[in-house]
Amino acid sequence: MPSPSAPHVWALNTCAGLHAAGSRHVVYVPDNPLSHVLGALRDRYPDVQTTIATREEEAFGIAAGLYLGGKRPTVMLQSSGLGNSLNALTSLIVPYQMPMLIVISMRGDAGEWNAAQAPMGRAVEPICHAIGLSTSIVASAEDAAETIGLVGKTAFMTRLPGVCLLPRRVTVPAPRVVA
Amino acid sequence: MTRLDATRLLAAAIGKDPVIASLGHPAYDLFATGDRDTYFYTWGSMGLASSIGLGLAMAQPDRRVVVIDGDGSLLMNLGSLATIGWVKPTNLIVIVWDNGVYGTTGGQDTATRHGADLEAASRAMGIAGTATVRTAEEFNSALARARTGAGPWVIVAKVEESAPTVKPPQDCVFLKQRFMAAIGVPETGTSGGKA
Repeated sequence: MPSPSAPHVWALNTCAGLHAAGSRHVVYVPDNPLSHVLGALRDRYPDVQTTIATREEEAFGIAAGLYLGGKRPTVMLQSSGLGNSLNALTSLIVPYQMPMLIVISMRGDAGEWNAAQAPMGRAVEPICHAIGLSTSIVASAEDAAETIGLVGKTAFMTRLPGVCLLPRRVTVPAPRVVA
Repeated sequence: MTRLDATRLLAAAIGKDPVIASLGHPAYDLFATGDRDTYFYTWGSMGLASSIGLGLAMAQPDRRVVVIDGDGSLLMNLGSLATIGWVKPTNLIVIVWDNGVYGTTGGQDTATRHGADLEAASRAMGIAGTATVRTAEEFNSALARARTGAGPWVIVAKVEESAPTVKPPQDCVFLKQRFMAAIGVPETGTSGGKA
């Protein structure tokens, strides 16, 4: 069990995956688990430029501009922010076929305590599929680098966005449920 | 000054600077002034033109990037001003055609007709280069200052609605590929090569 201040394995592997996919620009709206990814990027990947957006939809707009300018953007958000993103995704990113790596930190899935997170947690994959985005789920902390790296590479090779989901059982290690 | 008049002045001044155009009438008027490969027309994503411009300005720091926005669109994404004020891309110029109405949807009032001040909002968010212009002379002068000094700039141009009669190309992927090729970063896969 790593100490609380030690970098989380899943977070380090998330960084390794997006870096391996060639992404040097991360646009994000933070959440608690993603703070570990951002900390690891800051400490270990100084070549990755990070930009905070005020809202997830805005993050997709900035990422679209980065792509138009020849970069390979990553957008990171919490699942609750997918709702805020839908107009950008459905009327810009998908129809213009703008590839980007989309990393979603899940709430509302197994291990959730907050009922307000549950509906969108259930809806993330159906929504993504309905609007034409494929999803891949990171299976474990160890799997994060391979899955995220492959999804990112596939996105940029096929020129279509790709979504990686980080479940709570990966991002919030035990104790997962407080009795 | 109608929006089309102002757009003609802008097109005459910017040369090959890449332009991100907000959907609807601002994009239609830009097309009406003469299509260029360096124009990126949006067909949706209302409010995001300035965000797309910010990303492009970050990706291409040696190019001046022009955003054409509308008052109604910018009001939908005011947070973008905060992010631009934070990132401070020196190569970004945001033009806001402020006609006080949602022109593409039938002319309903926007908040700028009732006191909202988008130049003041830009300054409040940390954007130092700002202007509000009402005439062709004022617009040309502000544009010249924005093009010679460090940005980011937000120029709010008070214009009257024009009546667009033409529309830009509608194939989104074509527009993307044409634009990226024009600014020197052709999209992977748009030309053949070694097997």
